Amino acid sequence: MAGRVSATLASPQDSRVPGIAFIFKKALISALVALVLFSLMIGVRTDAGPDGQLTYWTRFGDLAAMVATVFGGSIVVELLRQWWGPVGTVRVVPASVQSGLSLAGRLVAPVLLVFTFLVPVIFYNERYILDLAILVLTYVMLGWGLNVVVGLAGLLDLGYVAFYAVGAYSYALLATNFGLSFWVCLPLAGILAAFWGVLLGFPVLRLRGDYLAIVTLAFGEIIRLVIINWQSLTGGPNGITGIPRPTLFGIPLSPGEDGLAARLGIEFSPTHRIVFLFYLILALALLTNWVTIRLRRLPIGRAWEALREDEIACRALGINTTTTKLTAFATGAMFGGFAGAFFATRQGFISPESFTFHESALVLAIVVLGGMGSQLGVALAALAMIGGFELFRGLDQYRMLVFGMAMVLLMIWRPRGLIGHRAPTVFLRHNQAISADLVNEGRG
Amino acid sequence: MTAPSNAPLLAIRSLHAAYGKIEALRGVDLDINAGEIVALIGANGAGKSTLMMTIFGRPRARSGRIEFDGQDISAVPTHEIARLRIAQSPEGRRIFPRMSVAENLQMGADATSSSEAERASGLERIFTLFPRLKERMSQRGGTLSGGEQQMLAIGRALMSRPRLLMLDEPSLGLAPLIARQIFDAIRALNRQDGLTVLIVEQNANHALRLAHRGYVMVNGLITLSGTGSELLQRPEIRAAYLEGGRRA
Repeated sequence: MAGRVSATLASPQDSRVPGIAFIFKKALISALVALVLFSLMIGVRTDAGPDGQLTYWTRFGDLAAMVATVFGGSIVVELLRQWWGPVGTVRVVPASVQSGLSLAGRLVAPVLLVFTFLVPVIFYNERYILDLAILVLTYVMLGWGLNVVVGLAGLLDLGYVAFYAVGAYSYALLATNFGLSFWVCLPLAGILAAFWGVLLGFPVLRLRGDYLAIVTLAFGEIIRLVIINWQSLTGGPNGITGIPRPTLFGIPLSPGEDGLAARLGIEFSPTHRIVFLFYLILALALLTNWVTIRLRRLPIGRAWEALREDEIACRALGINTTTTKLTAFATGAMFGGFAGAFFATRQGFISPESFTFHESALVLAIVVLGGMGSQLGVALAALAMIGGFELFRGLDQYRMLVFGMAMVLLMIWRPRGLIGHRAPTVFLRHNQAISADLVNEGRG
Repeated sequence: MTAPSNAPLLAIRSLHAAYGKIEALRGVDLDINAGEIVALIGANGAGKSTLMMTIFGRPRARSGRIEFDGQDISAVPTHEIARLRIAQSPEGRRIFPRMSVAENLQMGADATSSSEAERASGLERIFTLFPRLKERMSQRGGTLSGGEQQMLAIGRALMSRPRLLMLDEPSLGLAPLIARQIFDAIRALNRQDGLTVLIVEQNANHALRLAHRGYVMVNGLITLSGTGSELLQRPEIRAAYLEGGRRA
């Protein structure tokens, strides 16, 4: 089967290999375009002189280098393309490599999980890595939460940060005003965020695609602006300070006599709290993952995915699209609220600046890059986006450039995200036993 | 399986429906008795699909009655109509392309919350009708051929154990051989399981041969009705729907 396909596709390949002349022509045109573009952008540099007048100088060396790079790059790309062959070619991968890859694919998630559990043990003395790991896990959790709305139900939500903010402010206000503990506030923050999710859901029930995106974007901004302007409640732009740290079921992780270290009879270290926060966010993220996986196998989860595929067909099958959409919004928002409460207790200080559109965009990028609907993909994307961004710190001002380029390349090579396939949730117990006559009938 | 013969399973009386200002149904009367196949034929834009959608509550009826088993359903929410066990295979099949065949079928069972045993027996029935679906169970719906997608759409509707099955243009865009397989399956469902079927078709020849009775719709009105063979004999039907269609 595979052999036949590759044979039929391989024949036109030989006829359309472009010659040397074609490659040079293409490279020359690219270089010419680069020369025109870069002559002003790079070739001439202007600046304010010592007396405020405009001074300029030329940088023809840099210009020549850029044009040469484009020329050479164009040739390299064209040669690579020839070596790789046409896009439609079916490449035969040896069976051993294939089985090895599939084994590796199945092992990624468990290995990653075990490694995550061991991070505080391995990096106990490296505060920077622990902080980064907590940040990555926060975004993993946000990604998994948004994945319910965007990945499963297919409702493009650009205002997810609103629920993150609702969760954070719920905890901060309840804890500072009423002295409620983190463990009481955590479910409350989730419930409040879910409530706001339903509130957002109602007006957008009839909207889809771009229109839905615009309204959710506005919703995110409304929440942020309300927080900024409602000074008497939220403290406005000054934010809320002195948010209590989480306790281990009432035992604070502080150096005092009633602290955890003193009770256990070990020496106090501020790292204890970091490790505690790490396992807290890990537990919250895994809860999100577990609930999502369970929901996917229930009728409501299937209805979410069916809604993403075809809303009209859903109605024809008697699915209540209203409750289906609202539960998706509420579930996603609830996890956003949990993450927000965690964020508030970790920081000890929150202000509206932490809940800008940038956060929504970042979380959405994680979901899309990971492959919509894929739990492992979202986790890998969060690791790459947040961890990778830190990795490029040494590149200074080029960091954003490199990062943007990496994203563009990823979307070219894997347009459906890192992990684009979805695992089915319904299996038949007797699907292995296909009788021979049925198979014959199907071939005929 | 047989309802009291004097009361039709579905009775539609002077039904009006509109999309905004455009009147799509202008006083439709139609009866479907339990255990029969009824064909609804007509040209493009006659309102056939609208009638099917209006039975499902989208668009809502402006006036008139839709009675299913004696109960007026013209104001019942769409998702509850499906729970009364009226199923439809919508126009253009509309299977879920990224979900597997098994999941597509399960979606049909979800709405009526069937038991495990009912689900299994429903699957068995679908596999005897459409053996191909059994081989394709773990395949994504979008990778099926057009005919297989139509089989899946009918199978998905059957998973809700319907009392009335409504099919919108099941032969659209299918090779004649595949279309015949689909029609054969519908006949088998009617003869062997006593399923009541409303079939909307442009392929009048096939549909009227299959159906016990037929209705012809023109501009939102029923203009003709009769048994399938009666309608097939009428010269105006032959001229309008058959001579052109027979070549295909």
